[in-house]
Amino acid sequence: MDKLAYTSVNAMKSLMNRQTAIANNMANSNTVGFKADMVSAKSQYLNGPGHDSRAMAVERQMQADMNSGSVTQTGRSMDIALEGDGMIAVQAADGKEAYSRRGDLRIAASGAMVTGDGFPVMGAGGPITMPPAERVDIGADGTVFFVPQGGDPTQPQELDRIKLVSMTGSAISKGPDALFRAADDGVLPVDDNARVISGALEESNVNMTAALVDMIETSRAWETQAKLLRTAQELDESSASVMNMPRG
Amino acid sequence: MSNAALQVARTGLDAQNTKMRVIANNLANVNTTGFKRDRADFETLAYQNVVTPGAPSDAQNRFASGLQLGTGVKLSGIGKISTQGTLQNSENALDMAIEGSGFFQVERPDGTTGYSRAGNFNLTAEGNLVTSDGLPLIPAIQVPQGATALTIGNNGTVTATLAGQTETSELGQIELANFTNPAGLLSVGNNILTETAASGAPQVGEAGTEGLGNIRQGALEQSNVNIVEELVNMIETQRAYEVNSKMISATDEMLQFVNQQI
Repeated sequence: MDKLAYTSVNAMKSLMNRQTAIANNMANSNTVGFKADMVSAKSQYLNGPGHDSRAMAVERQMQADMNSGSVTQTGRSMDIALEGDGMIAVQAADGKEAYSRRGDLRIAASGAMVTGDGFPVMGAGGPITMPPAERVDIGADGTVFFVPQGGDPTQPQELDRIKLVSMTGSAISKGPDALFRAADDGVLPVDDNARVISGALEESNVNMTAALVDMIETSRAWETQAKLLRTAQELDESSASVMNMPRG
Repeated sequence: MSNAALQVARTGLDAQNTKMRVIANNLANVNTTGFKRDRADFETLAYQNVVTPGAPSDAQNRFASGLQLGTGVKLSGIGKISTQGTLQNSENALDMAIEGSGFFQVERPDGTTGYSRAGNFNLTAEGNLVTSDGLPLIPAIQVPQGATALTIGNNGTVTATLAGQTETSELGQIELANFTNPAGLLSVGNNILTETAASGAPQVGEAGTEGLGNIRQGALEQSNVNIVEELVNMIETQRAYEVNSKMISATDEMLQFVNQQI
């Protein structure tokens, strides 16, 4: 069999992964704070006797598109959108610090302040726990104010400050739980200049038009590879027919 | 045959479909007294690790970023947005609206306490103050026959002039309940919410104290659904649904092409 077939199959496998990533971006086009995934492939030449014509698409690297999504006003006091390159520090399931752009905060049954996907939000000294409160407000620098149960609504008390960090200049990557982590389990320092917009949410940054174009492009590339596979088959068939003994 | 892209797009269709249902429910309740709009919150499903970030790429180097394929989206929850609805004067002495936070307490048929923002109360034949569904208010208020000039104060004190008297007499005191996390209350229909582990225990008090809102007689709190906002959400959801269904047909065509070619 012509080795061309293997090169095509490899490309098709890679293209289907790409299509899955695009489908995932589309599925998350309404997920708050979602950052689109980007798949890139690297060519790997297979060296050996003969002409070096076989380059496999391997070691696909995945990064997240860190551009900001559009910000919409919600009017809910515990919704925050991050300005610029800020990120909210949260506690991941393994207890380590991770980062998120998801600002639809709420109070869990345990009293912990959590993000919309359930990760505890970090304050100055660990996860923030809310005492029973009538009202919770979040200031532009991430400071959490609350009016205690039975307290004076005109005298909100300061509870803690949400740990906000800046992602610029640090190597961060997206994990399987859609949280971002610094390289080598590192912890990013507090960014005192980070600002949040209270009563607003950052929408998913998936660009639907681009996703549709990518989808079509991937589909067509897949068809080209399938055609090559067909060509390889035809080549094999024709060489086999040349070898056929003429029937008398 | 299982194809990841098809399944991922299907999760998108499911999620958008549920969101559409939430929007439809909000729009259907645009004129329901005391209704608080719901919001569908999405979260990503777990990522599938193909190449772990930091895994060695050769003897000296490591992958700077891995290859993690997403598996779609799911609904993480439906939260109530408890902003104040606009108050509408109804001129009905038995209508009440809460200005600020708090809930009326009513007794459900099974004896448990339900919580409601809907203040459209009525009287039974015995003179008990009940909701439009007939659930009695807690604490019970009874209006004797022939009582006139029923007045409900800002703090919930109910007074009336009884038949044959000239002075007003106090009939009872309406108490409001508040929760640490009102978004955690469970909607059981008929404008009634019930307590859950997430909402915390109710704190009951006189209206206008301890952070509870004031009671306004002769007014009703309208639904806080903003039609324009819901319509924009509806269009957005519809388009996201369309894009996900496009993905299903595109992947289907890819597989169909391979089936025909090879």
